[in-house]
Amino acid sequence: MKNKYVFILTLTIVCSLLLSLAAKGLEERKNKNIEIDMKKNILSAIGIDVNSFSISDIDSYFSNNIDTLVINLEGDVIGKLSIDDLVQVENKQNGEVQYLYNNQEYLPLYNETEKKVIIIPISGKGLWSSLFGYFAVDTKDYSTVKGITFYRHGETPGLGGEISATWFQENFIGKKIYSSNDSLQSITVIKGKAPENAQHQVDGISGATITSNGVTALLNRDLKRYEPYFVKNRK
Amino acid sequence: MKNKRTFIDPLVDNNPITIQVLGICSALAVTVKVEQALVMTLALTFVVAMSNTIISLFRKYISSSIRIIVQLTIISTLVILIDKILQAYMYEISKSLSVFVSLIITNCIVMGRADAYAMQNNVKDSFLDGLGNGLGYGMILIIVAFFRELLGFGTVLDIRILPESMNNGLMILAPGAFIILGLIIWAQRSITNYIED
Repeated sequence: MKNKYVFILTLTIVCSLLLSLAAKGLEERKNKNIEIDMKKNILSAIGIDVNSFSISDIDSYFSNNIDTLVINLEGDVIGKLSIDDLVQVENKQNGEVQYLYNNQEYLPLYNETEKKVIIIPISGKGLWSSLFGYFAVDTKDYSTVKGITFYRHGETPGLGGEISATWFQENFIGKKIYSSNDSLQSITVIKGKAPENAQHQVDGISGATITSNGVTALLNRDLKRYEPYFVKNRK
Repeated sequence: MKNKRTFIDPLVDNNPITIQVLGICSALAVTVKVEQALVMTLALTFVVAMSNTIISLFRKYISSSIRIIVQLTIISTLVILIDKILQAYMYEISKSLSVFVSLIITNCIVMGRADAYAMQNNVKDSFLDGLGNGLGYGMILIIVAFFRELLGFGTVLDIRILPESMNNGLMILAPGAFIILGLIIWAQRSITNYIED
């Protein structure tokens, strides 16, 4: 009967050794994949077709054209902090992500210097899941929307899942986040079709009212966080 | 002759999905696109064949009182290994398969074959049995995925076949999988005159 214990002990040790080796050995590749995936999503938020890009293309585009910045809640750029210093904490209730360093809240920002666009991360709650994406704004006026993407969500395909569809995301391009009297006015996803020439409304997704409302709410909240930065830079 | 039957049987006559109706959960979940179904097939076939082989190899040492936990340890080790490899080398696919790779652990086919077959049979037969069951499962997965992708997105392996205007959203949702799976089971059973007893 001693045999049984020796067997199970050996099995456990062999299995755990194997898994630790695999996890450690493949970790670097996996982290690289996650990083590339994030960069791809940022680039597609500003309308770049990343499918034809190789990994080194993405890396070089990123290092040549995009500055990653950290700002505080007053909208000032903090030069001594990098995005890797920030710890992300997700609020499971409303899907809001906070970026903390020493218990102080900061915000990350990607500045595309060639096309003159800034890209900010957005997140919030849909119907079933948290939605994560990026939102791009023209830095000429800090108002014109250049694009939006959602890279992670668990909404129903064909209904709420349409937030990752091209038609829905293209809706946002050219809309404004500042109203004519110069105050921040986010974009609302409305039920049905948005009126023509609407500056702050986009077509809703039929059958996905809660997901649509979620997008409206998260844009409203996340844009407000960046308002001080917009104000400082808008001229 | 016996080897051949061990391998062929689970493909049609004793197919784990259409005859035994096992592994339905993942058959519904990962059949939206053919590519996902292919990767899932490879992953599951690898896991069943390997776990069957390993368990059969040690079947004389596995005392029956702890056999389930031993099988589970071996199966989960293999599954986690697959998951890590996918994340490192096929990141896009690992993202779209998400939790379903880890859920191979709970796929009834794997545990079922380990306990019902590998514990009693020699290594070679167990390996073939695992291979057959994995492919039998995968075959149905790919057939279902073929129709769902074709009717839902108008594409097969992302190559456009039908115009976008013919897309049927129902096929992308779970009911699409139920309907196609039901039709396949019906067709097979009426051809082979299989009656459940």
